[in-house]
Amino acid sequence: MKSWKVLTLALALVLCYAMAAHAGAAYDNVMKTKVLRAGIMTDSIPGAYYNDKGEWVGFDVDIAEEIAKRLGCKLERVAVNNKTRIAFVQQGRIDISVANMTHKRERDKSIDFSITYFFDGQKILAKKGEFKSLKDFVGKKVATMQGTTSELNVKNLLKNLGDADFAKNVISFQKESECFQALQNGRVSGWSTDSTILLGYAAKEPGKWELVGDFFSDEPYGIGLPQDDSALRDAVNFAIQDMWVDGAYMKIYNKWYGPDTPYSFPMTAKIEMWP
Amino acid sequence: MLRFWMEKTWVQVLALSALVAAGAVYWGFFFDFGYDFQWSVLYTPNPTYGMIFGLELVKGLGVTLVISLWSSGIALALGMFFGLGRLSSFGPLRWTSTAYVEFFRNTPLLVQLFFWYFALPQALPEAVKQWMFSQNFEMFCAVAGLSMYTGSFLAEVIRAGLQSIPKGLLEAAYSSGLSYVQVLTRIILPLAFRQIIPPLGSELLNNMKNSSLAMVVGVAELTWQSQQVESLTFRGFEATTAATVLYLATSLAISALMNAVNRKLKVAPTGPRPLAERILDAAIRPLSWVVRTAARPLAWRTVRRRMRGQAGLRYSKAGALWRRMLGLANKALVLSGKAAFLGALCLVVYKVGLGLAGFDWSVVAGNLRALLVWRFPNGSPNELFWGLGGLSYSLLMALIAISVSFFIGLAVGVGRTSRNLVLRIPSICYIEFIRGNPLIIVIFWVYFFIPVVTGAYLDVFWSATVALTAFTGAYLAEIVRAGIENIPGGQWEAAYSTGLSTLQTLRRIVLPQALKQMIPAIVGQFIAIFKDTSLAYVIGVLELTFVAQGLNNRLMVHPFEIYTTVAALYFAFCYIMSRLARRLELKLTPEATRLVM
Repeated sequence: MKSWKVLTLALALVLCYAMAAHAGAAYDNVMKTKVLRAGIMTDSIPGAYYNDKGEWVGFDVDIAEEIAKRLGCKLERVAVNNKTRIAFVQQGRIDISVANMTHKRERDKSIDFSITYFFDGQKILAKKGEFKSLKDFVGKKVATMQGTTSELNVKNLLKNLGDADFAKNVISFQKESECFQALQNGRVSGWSTDSTILLGYAAKEPGKWELVGDFFSDEPYGIGLPQDDSALRDAVNFAIQDMWVDGAYMKIYNKWYGPDTPYSFPMTAKIEMWP
Repeated sequence: MLRFWMEKTWVQVLALSALVAAGAVYWGFFFDFGYDFQWSVLYTPNPTYGMIFGLELVKGLGVTLVISLWSSGIALALGMFFGLGRLSSFGPLRWTSTAYVEFFRNTPLLVQLFFWYFALPQALPEAVKQWMFSQNFEMFCAVAGLSMYTGSFLAEVIRAGLQSIPKGLLEAAYSSGLSYVQVLTRIILPLAFRQIIPPLGSELLNNMKNSSLAMVVGVAELTWQSQQVESLTFRGFEATTAATVLYLATSLAISALMNAVNRKLKVAPTGPRPLAERILDAAIRPLSWVVRTAARPLAWRTVRRRMRGQAGLRYSKAGALWRRMLGLANKALVLSGKAAFLGALCLVVYKVGLGLAGFDWSVVAGNLRALLVWRFPNGSPNELFWGLGGLSYSLLMALIAISVSFFIGLAVGVGRTSRNLVLRIPSICYIEFIRGNPLIIVIFWVYFFIPVVTGAYLDVFWSATVALTAFTGAYLAEIVRAGIENIPGGQWEAAYSTGLSTLQTLRRIVLPQALKQMIPAIVGQFIAIFKDTSLAYVIGVLELTFVAQGLNNRLMVHPFEIYTTVAALYFAFCYIMSRLARRLELKLTPEATRLVM
């Protein structure tokens, strides 16, 4: 009986050791602890994902590391998904959210955003040669992720193109990998989200998939920040602009989206600059 | 002095009300949640999206109920077939039934759903696949997956019920000339079902809660809808509270219904008729009237047939020949049925063997280490336990959960049996709240919303472990309560009359005996927790299912290999543990299990 008591006490203590953190005004907290907690995705290729060796790499990961360096802090990575990337900023669990998140006005009511750090748009991924234009998707099933702007945009697109069952034809999954699997086994005819994510997955099976049509929605990515924390927002914005000025941004960009990568996506816009 | 006052009921009620009031005042007025509650988002029409979210949640509940009803019906049929199959004298049928039950009970439902939705279509011929996709494929997968899973549990429940029939009854029935079907329908099943209803009810309740997993294959049921409301309005607390209340109400309604059905089947029910039974009576009265009036002419026809049959006991030559032909035809039918079954079984085994032979086993071998331990010991600095993940993570979560929840379960279970309301009411609330909700909802509460209320955040691994611990604690509390109530009342009386207090009686007399009986049930619970660790997938814990999905996501072209390996790993562990439970049961209660007939 005594060894039971010791064992349970030990296990209960292990449970208490669970890392707990308390909320505080974000900028002050970051500067005091010199740790920047960033929420980063785990399933977006090449935004942030686990590679062959199991390492967590990606464009967003490198951007977050660079920002932390310029703020003079250590980066603490927190895995988030489509649901939690905003909720965690709201709750104060993370300081910034670098999670391929589109800057939308509806979202701006709950959290703040940095200046746009990536310029993307929404398209539909389908089997090569099957569809010519977006109109061909009327009446077909399309996959998307629950809780994203892509879900709302593709529903609106199908409704405007005249699909009567647009609500039933759009199937919302939890993660990107599930959407791609549904596309592969033919359950859906197309998968709609940001074009870079689509390119990332299509690159796994080169020559089999293609992006259909033009951008039907602009997706400017912003870094999610706590509401009304001007100091942190300024610091992050200045960091992004400094990265653009001294070329660090383009170096990271070309590493992931450059001409000789499988996800080639030429940079056509400019980061907003204030002298 | 304190004990004197605490024994009075009104003092207990007062103390409980004071505690609740204090909590309400603190959380309601003094604590700064840092979160702006807007309950109106549930019942006012939303201007941006044009819908009332409360109604969407109710629609989700409707889908949940549809899935539950369909899968319960199919699972009952499957359970009856395979439960009887396990007791059959025909070898291949017995082995198939055992294989079915063991396989589907020892793999997690989440992995099974992934198999149905993502892996199965690739094995079907193109035409069949396209036809299936044109139907509501998500619903089909959810219903099929749930039916097969719950069917395996029901098969065990039905088998146990059938085996509880005294053997003498069976022998008497056969020796009075009844056929197999007649014995089954007129004698065994009516008696067995009376025994089976309580565990059947709890399995059907679990089925309803497991329907929450259908959200991972895109079915718009209640949990999915609550997530949808949260992502559209960012009002997660309100949405999840509404979903919790709906699940709780449904669970309580189903429990009340099953209790009413149980009472109706009793030969001589005691006590006053509860409200649920009255509602059930009123609901089925028109149906029972229809059945009775329709059966009246049939009853007369049976009487006349019986009178004619008695007259025909003296056989003419033609009559005897006819009876012999009927007998031979019957035997031929049974024999051909057995042959057909054997043929079908061989075909299935052959196909599965072909499939397994065609697997790319190098993929499995190359990634086995990742599946077992993820990146241990070379994890990155912000990963817990030096990058541990995969199967070892699942085991670690299950171990911590079962050990800590044992003590929670003990405390709450003892509290539930106490006469003191201050202990009993909170215990009942805890147990009913946790057991009435699916595990996914409990995980969401611990991960997303407890931090809002307490101000401290936990890492995903600890959130999932705490949620599992709380969940298991409630189930263990019920096991403890059943164990304590199983001890004969005479033990309590003897203890009291020798001057022992309640606590001393519990500690020295009742619990040692009860715990010994409980151990097989506790091991069974451990197996269940180990399978439930797969649900930590939804919040992103790097346990086996998540790692497997990540691998599948990266490799893309070998879903069958990955899912089969994952299923095999879960199965191996759960099967070993269930064998261990069986051995423990044999060792601890030899008199109950070694009864030779």
